[in-house]
Amino acid sequence: MNKKKNSYFLAALALAPIIALSGCAASTTNSEDSITIYSGRSETLITELLSTFTEETGIEVNVRYGDSAELAAQILEEGSNVQADAFFSQDAGALGALAKEGLTKSLPTDITDLVDASYKSKDSQWVGVSGRARVLVVNPDKVTKVPTSYKDLMDPIWKGRIGIAPTNASFQAFISAVRVIDGEQAAQDFLAAMKVNAVLFEKNGLILQAVEDGVIDAGLINHYYWFELENEIGAGNMKSELVWFEDQDAGNLINVAGAAVLSDNPSANVFVKWLLGDTAQNYFVERTREYSLTGVPEVAGLKPFGEIKAPKIDLSDLDSLAETLELIRKAGLL
Amino acid sequence: MAVSAVLISLIPLIYLLVRVATIGISEIAELIFQTRTLELIINSLALAIAVSVSAVALGSMQAWVAVRSNLPGRKVFSVLAALPLAIPSYVAAYAWIAVIPGFSGFFAAWLLLTVGTAPLVYLAVSAALVRFDAGTEEVAQSLGATKLQVFRKVTWPNIRTAAVSGGLLSALYVLSDFGAVSIVRYDTFTRAIYNAYRASFDRNQAAALALVLVLVTVLVLYFESKARGQKFATGKIAGRLGLVELGRWKAPMVLILLGLATVSLLVPLGSLLSWSIEGFGSVDWVVVLGALANSVGLAVSGGVLTTFAALAIAVLTIRHRRKFSVVLERSVWLTHATPGIVVALALVFFSNQVVPWVYQTTLLVLIAYLALFLPNALAAVSTPIRQSPKALDEVSSSLGLSTMQTLRKVVLPIAGPGIFAATTLVILTVLKELPATLLLRPTGMETLATRLWTETSVAAFSAAAPYALLLVVLAGFPAWLLNRAIRKDLEPMEMERYQ
Repeated sequence: MNKKKNSYFLAALALAPIIALSGCAASTTNSEDSITIYSGRSETLITELLSTFTEETGIEVNVRYGDSAELAAQILEEGSNVQADAFFSQDAGALGALAKEGLTKSLPTDITDLVDASYKSKDSQWVGVSGRARVLVVNPDKVTKVPTSYKDLMDPIWKGRIGIAPTNASFQAFISAVRVIDGEQAAQDFLAAMKVNAVLFEKNGLILQAVEDGVIDAGLINHYYWFELENEIGAGNMKSELVWFEDQDAGNLINVAGAAVLSDNPSANVFVKWLLGDTAQNYFVERTREYSLTGVPEVAGLKPFGEIKAPKIDLSDLDSLAETLELIRKAGLL
Repeated sequence: MAVSAVLISLIPLIYLLVRVATIGISEIAELIFQTRTLELIINSLALAIAVSVSAVALGSMQAWVAVRSNLPGRKVFSVLAALPLAIPSYVAAYAWIAVIPGFSGFFAAWLLLTVGTAPLVYLAVSAALVRFDAGTEEVAQSLGATKLQVFRKVTWPNIRTAAVSGGLLSALYVLSDFGAVSIVRYDTFTRAIYNAYRASFDRNQAAALALVLVLVTVLVLYFESKARGQKFATGKIAGRLGLVELGRWKAPMVLILLGLATVSLLVPLGSLLSWSIEGFGSVDWVVVLGALANSVGLAVSGGVLTTFAALAIAVLTIRHRRKFSVVLERSVWLTHATPGIVVALALVFFSNQVVPWVYQTTLLVLIAYLALFLPNALAAVSTPIRQSPKALDEVSSSLGLSTMQTLRKVVLPIAGPGIFAATTLVILTVLKELPATLLLRPTGMETLATRLWTETSVAAFSAAAPYALLLVVLAGFPAWLLNRAIRKDLEPMEMERYQ
């Protein structure tokens, strides 16, 4: 009989935590004074911002963190049972994917009017919240002649020296920009050259680290990664520098992190609007070193938003992602 | 119980079929037959074969040395052989990159995954060796067989099943792994699946690719069943265990084992430690303890639940071997190479369609663990169930005991240690699991693995290192227990030798 007791004990052991844990987490029925946010932006970056939101508005926030694309896939699979009231995404692509499936709610004009037309969806399904610039990070000891265009990186002298992250959404947006500005052929040629020249990475952060470590000489990344690392290891310890290309170069593209509303909970609109208010915009500028999309001046040491000679294109024109991916895939980089 | 567990483990497969059904055949064909897809399958298979072969070689060697040789310090080496199991492969990859920044490509992936999965082979083969009576070897030798012949004709057939099934776990792990290969930048098929989600937000395309992986798994399973043979080490624990004199091979063997321990433990742990020293200052201990408690809670309940299910299946298939039950047992393996994210999304889909109330509860997380790790538990539980002699069943039923009574009074006590090992193994594996936990956990629930993910997603390795270290230390405990459980059977025999 001992064995029997044992198995009951084990069963109880197995069930106890389930009961204990599911009790506290299962039912987050959202009333107006609480919302559930799926956030592709990292907890370390925005948790403080969210508590300020609760302080200022009295709206409690339940937040689920994850990779932007994986959260988008999760929301798509939730289908008719979507749990999130708002989605805060690392990039516009994931928001576009939800909008395309009709899972986003139209935003009112008092939100969409806050942001320049280049940085929001044409039919008001999502808005950009903060801007991030594509830059070239270089090791100044190894790169004496600074490239003036992304096209310069196609030169054979760059073989094995330049890092890119072809699976990264920002890189793909950049390739879309190349297609829109310089044409399909230019994009194809560039990717073919990258297949030869580039060292491939999974993430921007790993490219930066490799440049810092002297593994590669330069890399295409988003600007704020550099400031995050500077913040971690100290200003004097950075070996790399950021470089912008010449006027209108597709390599100077500005991407956005953005938000969309997924439910009829009015607090979700309050949240998105709040993200575009002064408190949040200042936070992005100071803490994450991103660019404000509502005119809050950037932090000292960062190239001013107005001075970036970004190509004049509409971010929602960059939704031809399937074609871009096809090009990247054909080049053998994906 | 057995049937419902198998059904749960098949949810991912059903999900993939549902997804793929929504796209046209021509589209699927185009996707699958493009050169890139084939290139990635070849990459994946090459890595899986290379890793599993070397893991079988290394793991078997470690097991043989630890159990059968007279190498001084073999007890210590046996612990060192099991412990790498505690280090998640993505953590090891990060740690290596922190030491050697240019660490990448096929060789890097091969090295990381070999030392990461060799312990699976080591544990399986050790268990088989402990139960293998060396008397047979001596007989063979006395009949004039050379040492090599003895190994080929006597020893190997007895450990073959264990070694090959350890190799299978290793190969399927390689096929499903995303973390390590992406960090060391080796392009595998799993990366293509992740990219389908991440880059194109195309669930259907991802599903089509994942289905290809299921087909590859079928292929692997077929070759595994050919390779493992049908002979099982029978009976009880070995009566005698002749220790083999290593002689002049002692020094080289110690060097090899030390080298292995350096690659598998010293480098990653050293790297983690040095980063942790920087990071420990900024750790919020309340968060850490909460994550620790959740990790332990999920792992223990996941381990017990999964082992229960595995036990039910094992009893059904081994004790009552019919065609149906064999199909049941094999089908569990089908989705074992499917990446965690696919399994997780399958459960998101399934729960929202069928049982919305379990969505984002701990119960669904545990179901995911069951779907993911049932094969691991099944592999660990099958051997001991098989080894409990069927003759005893017959005796007990001839004495008038019912099937359930026989099971409880005869089979389970004999298989007890194996069940314990299976539970421990699943606990260990759950502790390290990330993608499914991340997607399915109740909103706001944190485990050590999810905390680790949070900290590395901003590339601050020093902040992540304390969590990684804690996770490794925590998982080290079951790894150590596993090894001890196997070696416990050795102790009486070792004692005997000194008397």
